Amino acid sequence: MTAIRGFLIALGVGIALWGLHVLLGLGRDNLIATLTWLVGGVFLHDGVLAPATIVVFFAITRVVRGPLPLPVIIGGLVLGTVTLLASPTILRLGRIKDNSSLVDRNYTVGWLVFAGLTLLIVTAATLLGHRRSKGGARGASTGRR
Amino acid sequence: MGLTELRTRAEALVPTEDDFTSRLRSPAVAARVGVWLGTCFGICFITGLISHEAYVTHPFIAFPTRPVDLYRVTQGLHVFSGTAAIPLLLVKLWAVFPKLLAKPPKTLPHLLVEALERSSIAVLVAASIFQLASGLFNAAQWYPWHFHFRATHYAMAWIAIGSLVVHIAVKLPIIRDVLGADIESGVHDRPSMAGRPPISRRNLVRGALTASGIAVLTQAGSTVPFLRKVSVFSPRSGNGVGGLPVNRTARGAGVIPTALSPDYRLTLSYGSTQKTFSRTDLEQLRQRTHDLPIACVEGWSKSGTWTGVRLRDLLDLVGAPRGKDVKVTSLQTRGAFGVTMLPSQFADDPLTLLALGLNGETLPLDHGYPARLIAPDRPGVLQTKWITKLEVVA
Repeated sequence: MTAIRGFLIALGVGIALWGLHVLLGLGRDNLIATLTWLVGGVFLHDGVLAPATIVVFFAITRVVRGPLPLPVIIGGLVLGTVTLLASPTILRLGRIKDNSSLVDRNYTVGWLVFAGLTLLIVTAATLLGHRRSKGGARGASTGRR
Repeated sequence: MGLTELRTRAEALVPTEDDFTSRLRSPAVAARVGVWLGTCFGICFITGLISHEAYVTHPFIAFPTRPVDLYRVTQGLHVFSGTAAIPLLLVKLWAVFPKLLAKPPKTLPHLLVEALERSSIAVLVAASIFQLASGLFNAAQWYPWHFHFRATHYAMAWIAIGSLVVHIAVKLPIIRDVLGADIESGVHDRPSMAGRPPISRRNLVRGALTASGIAVLTQAGSTVPFLRKVSVFSPRSGNGVGGLPVNRTARGAGVIPTALSPDYRLTLSYGSTQKTFSRTDLEQLRQRTHDLPIACVEGWSKSGTWTGVRLRDLLDLVGAPRGKDVKVTSLQTRGAFGVTMLPSQFADDPLTLLALGLNGETLPLDHGYPARLIAPDRPGVLQTKWITKLEVVA
């Protein structure tokens, strides 16, 4: 086990150093621009997104009494992550004036349909879950988590 | 207020690892999401290397011309696996977030080991976020940076994969323990994980995978024809002039006056032999029609029916032997890839055309009128448009 771990660490360091060598070969300006994005990405996640998630979840638990149903949490996870990764397209940040084939959908309607569909499935699954747990509660106290 | 009291108060404001009581933020969840994330990274890395090889004139292994859809599939997979990785990375980082706030050990040897481990994780996290964010923005064709995207994305891929291998090696004993036990068991849990979470760990992992799969479905229509209507967030619907999307327009490339000029000529040369052709001259040569895809590095693709002169037929007119690379020059005055090198296997391939028409119509200006290259299994940006010069490299 120790030998395998030692080999993997040496291999990983070697691979990463090769990447660093290629990166340094791209010049000083390229390196500075890359480092800015590397640090900026970590800051945006650890300093903004992660604390914001904690605050939002805390605020929801203050408003909603009791544990959130499973479909609501999964629905929130799906809607939140998919919206975040689709945001450059939804905001059409890459649009070019004379290129109508690029970011050429109605993304606002697309998002509304996506959010509406998620809400519909979450509501249906929550109601179904409540009905099941009520039925189950007559026999044994089981709840889906 | 004394300095010690001030320090104690300041420390009380910053949460520590033990302030996170949820059983969901656990090694059991992190390892399982990590397996899927690592798989996505592996697919991204291999398909990324394939794409890199496709861009190089003389790669380690000559890039094949068959199957004609190979680059379309590998680059589609590259973007799909990168997209799938984003929700997984977010959930993985969420699960391990308390570790970021863990108090450092007090003895020097332990402190040094911890510093090394944290450094490797910092490199991995920074490289992962960089790769996924820059790849995502590239797929949306948004370039808000000053680094060379393709070269930097390639270099950072090695750094990300290298630091991932180190991370797996460092965490191997924990990974083995938690994957060998039931996900809901308390193996390697912190003592502070006392809270009852609203959902089970198993359902959190399922939720992450669901988000990942749905993320791909909402984007994949850029390249998968039957998903074009479902993928509400794909940066391209697949429509465009002549039935195909365009990356660089004729206006963007600054070619409109020269491409539409009656003085347009294509120059073909091999050594001292040189021939020039007007667009009408090219139309007089034997025309062939092939179905070939345009497949771009951003992950979008679409097939078109191209009509034109087989490139090999043209090369025969100047007596160029087989096995020679061809330097292709565009009329474009702006943007990269104005001059490209076509490796010999593509130049000699019977499917490679100097295209004059698309989908039964005259080649649209935005697709490279008067003449463009279309070869099987090539990245879209190397399918040079508005060609003015073909030079067989002696």
